[in-house]
Amino acid sequence: MRRGSAVVKRFSFVLNGKPVEVEVPPAYTLLETLRNVLHLTGTKDGCGDGDCGACTVLLDGRAVHSCLTLMAQVEGRSVTTVEGLLRDSSPDEVQSAYAESGAVQCGYCTPGLIMATKALLMSNPNPSVEEVKEALRGNLCRCTGYAKILEAVLRVRR
Amino acid sequence: MSSEEEILKRFAAIEQAREFYIIGKKVSRVDALDAVLGRPMYTGDLVTGDFLFVKAVRSPYAHALIKGIDISRALKQRGIEAVITHRDIPGENDAGSLIPDRPLLAVDKVRHYGEAVALVVGSGIETVEEAIRLVDVEYEPLPVVKDPFEAMKPDAPRIQNRDNIVTHFKIRKGNIEEGFSKADIIVENTYKTQFMDGLPLETEVAYAFPEKDGRITCISSMQNPFDVYNKVVKILGVGPEDVRVIQAATGGGFGPKSDETPIDIAAYACLAVKKTGKPAFAVFTREEATTVQSKRHAFTIRHKTGATRDGKLVAWKSELVADTGAYISKGHLVIARATFHCTGPYEVPHVWADGYCVLTNNTIAGSTRGFGAPQAHFAAELQMDALAKKLGIDPVEIRARNILRPGSLTATSQRIDDAGLEICFGKVVETARWHQKRREYEELNRTSSRIKKGIGIALLYHGNTLGPEGEDFATVHVRIEEDGSVVVQTGLTEYGTGALTSLVIIVAEILGIPASWVRMERPDTSAVTSSGPTVASRTTVIGGRAAADAATQLRGRLAEVAAGLLGCSPDELVFKDGVVSVGGDRRRGIGFRELVSEASRRGVELRVRGYYIAPPTRWDPETGQGAPYNQYTFGALVSEVEVDTETGLVVVKRMTAAYDAGRVINPLGLLAVIEGGSIQGLGHALTEEIIHENGVVVNPSLHGYIIPTASEAPEWIEPIAVESPGRIGAFGAKAMGEIPVVLPMASIANAVAHAIGVFIRETPLKPERVLKAIREAERKER
Repeated sequence: MRRGSAVVKRFSFVLNGKPVEVEVPPAYTLLETLRNVLHLTGTKDGCGDGDCGACTVLLDGRAVHSCLTLMAQVEGRSVTTVEGLLRDSSPDEVQSAYAESGAVQCGYCTPGLIMATKALLMSNPNPSVEEVKEALRGNLCRCTGYAKILEAVLRVRR
Repeated sequence: MSSEEEILKRFAAIEQAREFYIIGKKVSRVDALDAVLGRPMYTGDLVTGDFLFVKAVRSPYAHALIKGIDISRALKQRGIEAVITHRDIPGENDAGSLIPDRPLLAVDKVRHYGEAVALVVGSGIETVEEAIRLVDVEYEPLPVVKDPFEAMKPDAPRIQNRDNIVTHFKIRKGNIEEGFSKADIIVENTYKTQFMDGLPLETEVAYAFPEKDGRITCISSMQNPFDVYNKVVKILGVGPEDVRVIQAATGGGFGPKSDETPIDIAAYACLAVKKTGKPAFAVFTREEATTVQSKRHAFTIRHKTGATRDGKLVAWKSELVADTGAYISKGHLVIARATFHCTGPYEVPHVWADGYCVLTNNTIAGSTRGFGAPQAHFAAELQMDALAKKLGIDPVEIRARNILRPGSLTATSQRIDDAGLEICFGKVVETARWHQKRREYEELNRTSSRIKKGIGIALLYHGNTLGPEGEDFATVHVRIEEDGSVVVQTGLTEYGTGALTSLVIIVAEILGIPASWVRMERPDTSAVTSSGPTVASRTTVIGGRAAADAATQLRGRLAEVAAGLLGCSPDELVFKDGVVSVGGDRRRGIGFRELVSEASRRGVELRVRGYYIAPPTRWDPETGQGAPYNQYTFGALVSEVEVDTETGLVVVKRMTAAYDAGRVINPLGLLAVIEGGSIQGLGHALTEEIIHENGVVVNPSLHGYIIPTASEAPEWIEPIAVESPGRIGAFGAKAMGEIPVVLPMASIANAVAHAIGVFIRETPLKPERVLKAIREAERKER
């Protein structure tokens, strides 16, 4: 949530391939900066505690909880959000796989799960079912029961 | 033939058709692509510009008198614009979703932990949070009533100015003494289930702003926009035209978003706008949501069941006690549903049941997916396995001798008229290879010392839609634009179940156009009339009928124009593949879009309101006898588990689920709710538990309240759809949204009992409880 603090600090990082500079209070999390300052609302806030994974983004290619990531940790690094997966306005293969597999119900956990999937496949293009489950453990979904999510991930593995 | 006759004739023909154009075909969720791109607009995504935060001051006590509220220190804080107490509510201080027993802001007493006492409005969340600590509330703690049995004692402190027992719901069928006199064996047990949270991933959130004309618009996350709207109008003390409520994309419902908290959050934001004239935003933290969101009722169920030597049920006596917390919410209806279903889906000639809904100082319990049915089926299904064990017969055998078949009478003496249960039961037993697995696991458990395997079964029936719970109607507005695209709008909401996709499918089926030509518009109280609540799995069943009504009216109007153009009678027309033709002969046809533009040119009104209301249901409140529901969904679930006897950990390996959906309108949606409900039910069975200590919720977080992750999902869920059409639902559809969450607790608990040889009659089956049961069984054996 937006904080009222008057002290702000400048942070520079790469967001979805483009350099950005923001001036935010030093205690701001990456999630707050993305949603409240940069108005990239695809990344969701489900608990603010690092429990649910709805806020998952990529930091230098690795999945992190943006609600637990302070802006100081982001300085000079590269962040990818769900909005950054689009290439020439067409969805990433992971996004298409989620839509085609019916892995979406209320949709609130979906961006975070897609980013966690993306991180997994970047480091391990051909994961086993167990590895997929392990990689997605930090992302809670209350609607789907995960079956269609697993199907979507397995659909795009090499 | 007139167009009206054509409508009736065609609708009857469409309803009875065996072949469908789109119904039952795989249609992707209309909004799936948006979701994967992160594009759907949830309430929190819509907030821009300058706005104020609103947040509640909440009681740290479960039961206390309020001796005074001093807001002066908080008001002096920089950035604080208002502090609102019950005195500042312009209208009525009543936020109860159905029963007016719950104030929006406490007056002279708090009755549960986390109850809202005041609202702080200011710029910046930190400023508001700081000021909350400066609101001085003087409390005088009262004794906390922790337990419904304590609350039922005549000398127990009263939670409200009324008896703590809210409802005593009765079933009296046959003659219970006579029934037990015919019993060769009797089994008596007590079952306990825990408080649980439906836990939608998006917490309660509302954004309200003043319009130029003074109206307040409120965008929020909810199941029932009209419930929220009606209450907010009352709380603000304004006219119906002064408030507009719009449902934003909603991140899960599961019941809590149909009850108390969506009213609270919208009222908080609207009161702040009313007071300050500025836009206001309110959102629950996860801790707040988990604390005050209405829970699944904790139940204690005592069953005494009698059967003959050959396994025929003869008598069933039950007492069900539901802890509804400090306010009633929907507790009086939950106890009714649980009591109606207390014998499980079996025919019992003599039934005596008493259901009590009781107030305590625990947090509120209300609607949660399944609405009392998971608790009722857990107890009934374990009771059936206990009987089988005592009789030395297989759990499948005792069920086969007692299940509801066509002609059977339920506990309320309602005659069952379809074979849905028999079919579901037969399919799961066969598909799961029940008998073979049962033998295999028993064999294995004889030699395996640490890991024990088990297989368990449970069956259900589920009275459809509202029945005794309210007026079961829906309205659906459908219009055809000049370009031939079709727009559907209703007060029924989407929150993840895919039910609105079913309405799209039904409209597309009747108009004979691809589903992609139909789109949904967001529910908006200023654009549509009330469609009743989006609860009780009613959208496809009841909403589908209203959608069919609207589409059929439009079809009739188009048919009249087409008949004139094609020189035929309207009843000869076939609507298919976007073409309206004589008898399906496309050479004698006209494109749907061309027909629409011709009809528009002729001034034919292509905007209609479809309506449906289910027949009222009747039963005797003194005996519970009658027909409380218009139709029943049936189902069967087999679960296979592994129990680690050294740690007590239960792992669900496989689930085989058959549900009688009446008619599968939307197969992908059906699959989605089966898989999702099964895992939610798995969480209920194994880990989920809201823990109250002296009324205080001690685990209001996602690391304290454990829901299943991908790792806990079974290796395989085998979903089987059965179609035994219901009497009222659209195209024979039966309720399905809630149903798959009903059986996992029962089925998994029976599988665990099979694995370890002892029944655990209290949920969740957490490792320490399982381990304790194993150790006790071992002690007895020695």
